[in-house]
Amino acid sequence: MALTGINKAGFYNAVFSLAIKTIKLRYKNSVLGVFWSMLNPLFFMVIIYIVFGQVNSMERFALYALSGLIFWNFISGAILQVLTSFIDNADILKSINLHPLSFPLSAMLAAIFNLLLSLIPFTIVLFFLDYQLHISIIALFPYLFITAIFVAGLGMLLGTINVYFRDIQLLWSTITPAFFYFTPIAYSIDLVPERFHWLVRLNPFYHFIDAVHKIFYDSRFPTFTSFCIMSFYALFTFSLGYFVFKQLRKGFISNI
Amino acid sequence: MISPQVMIRLTDVNICFYIQENGFISLKDYFLNIGKYAFLKKRFVLNDLNLEVFKGECIGLIGKNGCGKSTLLRTLSGIIEPESGKIELFGRVAPLLGLGVGLERELTGRENIKLLCSLMGMGKKETNNLLQPIIEFSEIGEAIDWQVKRYSTGMMSRLSFSIAIMKNPEILLIDEVLSVGDIGFQRKCLKKVREIMLAGATVIFVSHDFEEIKKMCNRAVLVDEGKIVCIGTVDEVGLKYQALFDEKN
Repeated sequence: MALTGINKAGFYNAVFSLAIKTIKLRYKNSVLGVFWSMLNPLFFMVIIYIVFGQVNSMERFALYALSGLIFWNFISGAILQVLTSFIDNADILKSINLHPLSFPLSAMLAAIFNLLLSLIPFTIVLFFLDYQLHISIIALFPYLFITAIFVAGLGMLLGTINVYFRDIQLLWSTITPAFFYFTPIAYSIDLVPERFHWLVRLNPFYHFIDAVHKIFYDSRFPTFTSFCIMSFYALFTFSLGYFVFKQLRKGFISNI
Repeated sequence: MISPQVMIRLTDVNICFYIQENGFISLKDYFLNIGKYAFLKKRFVLNDLNLEVFKGECIGLIGKNGCGKSTLLRTLSGIIEPESGKIELFGRVAPLLGLGVGLERELTGRENIKLLCSLMGMGKKETNNLLQPIIEFSEIGEAIDWQVKRYSTGMMSRLSFSIAIMKNPEILLIDEVLSVGDIGFQRKCLKKVREIMLAGATVIFVSHDFEEIKKMCNRAVLVDEGKIVCIGTVDEVGLKYQALFDEKN
C-alpha cells in the first residue's frame, strides 16, 4: 500500500543525501579530514612492517600489507556502518516516511565513496612500494561491486537483528580483530601450515582480501574461481540479509 | 448541497505494535520453526478506527498520554503500516512528528533544510526554490549558517516547522510541536496554518492541551484505550475528555 507518494527518484535522492550527510559528518570536526582513511592503514602498515617484517621473508611486504589493510579497513568498517545504520537513524526512521533500506544503502554508498577517496593517495604510495602497473587493475570494478553486495548483505542481516539486540554490534566489534588475524591480510597464507588451509578458505574474508592481493601485489587478475566464490558469498549473505529484514521489519518502529 | 470533499478516510483500521521481549532464545526458536512461533509479540494499539476528515478542516486529536495519538499520526504518514483496514489519503502529506527530528546537530541550519527536504522526497530544484522562503519564515537570520547544535530548542522547532509548512502540504500532521516557540512565533505558525487551511489544506493536530485545540480546530476526536471514543465539536469532545479524568476522582 502506497501511503504518501515517495517515488523512485525521490528514494534515490534521499539515499544520496543521507550518504553525503554521513561523509560530511565523519570529517566535520577533524583537521586532516579525508586523509584519515589513508593515514590509518598507512600507520598500521608501518607497525605491521616493523613487527612482522623481520620474520617475513616476503618481497615487497609493505605493498602486500598495505593493499590488504586498505581493503580490510573498507570491508570491516563498511559492515559496521551498515550494521548500525538503522539505529543511528532511529530518529528519522520514526518520523519520516522513508524506506528503511535507504539507511544501509546510504551507509554502503558513503563507505564506497570513502574508499575511492583513499585510493587516490594510495595509488601514489603504491608506486613507491614498487607496484607493477597492469591491466588487471580493472578487475577492481567487478570486485567492488561484488564486495559491496556482500558487505550490504551481511550488514543488513546483522543490522536487522541489532535493532532487537544491541549485543550484535558489540559482538561484531569484538570479533572483527579476531577476523583480522585469522584472515591472511598482513601475512601470506603460505605461513599457515598446509593442513589448515581448508579452514582459512572457509573464511569468506580470505577470498575478498586474496583478490586484492592478486590485483595489487601479483599484478594479475583474480581467478575465475575466486570471483565465483566471492559472488556466492555475496548472493548468499544478501538474500539471507534481505529475508531476515523482510521478516523482522514490521517491529522496527516498536523496538528501535 | 454539495458534500465536502474527503481528504482522509480510515475504514476499520487496526494498528499493532510488534514487541520483542524474550531475548535470544526466542530468536533461535523463531528461525528453527519459522511460522510456528512468533518472535515478535503482537499488541493491538488502536482498534476499529473509522474516521473521515474533510478538505479545509482542522481536526484535533486528544487523549491521555500514551493512548496512541502519535501512533495514529505515524500511521497516517506511512511510517507504520496498519495491521488491517484501509487508509486513504487524498493529497500530499507533511508530517511534523516531533521537535527537531531528523535535524543533524553537526550540520548547519541551511544544510539541514536541504537534507530534510530531500528525505521528505523533494528534488534538488524544488529544495533550492524552497530554501529562501523556509529561511525567511523561520526568522532564524544569520544563525541559519550555524551548526544546529548551537541552536536553542525554540530555534530547532522553528526550523523544523518551517520546513514542513513550506512544503505546501495538502495534509499537515502536527504532533505537539507548536508549543515550544515563543509567543510571536506561535502566533505566526497558527496564522500560517490557518492560511494553508483556507487554501484548502487539511490539518490533523495532536495535543493533550485542550486550550490549544480550542484555538485551532473545528472538530475534535477523543482517543481512549485504543479506540475512538467520540467525534464531534470541540466543546463536546472537551467535556468527554474532562470526564475521563473526573471518573477516577
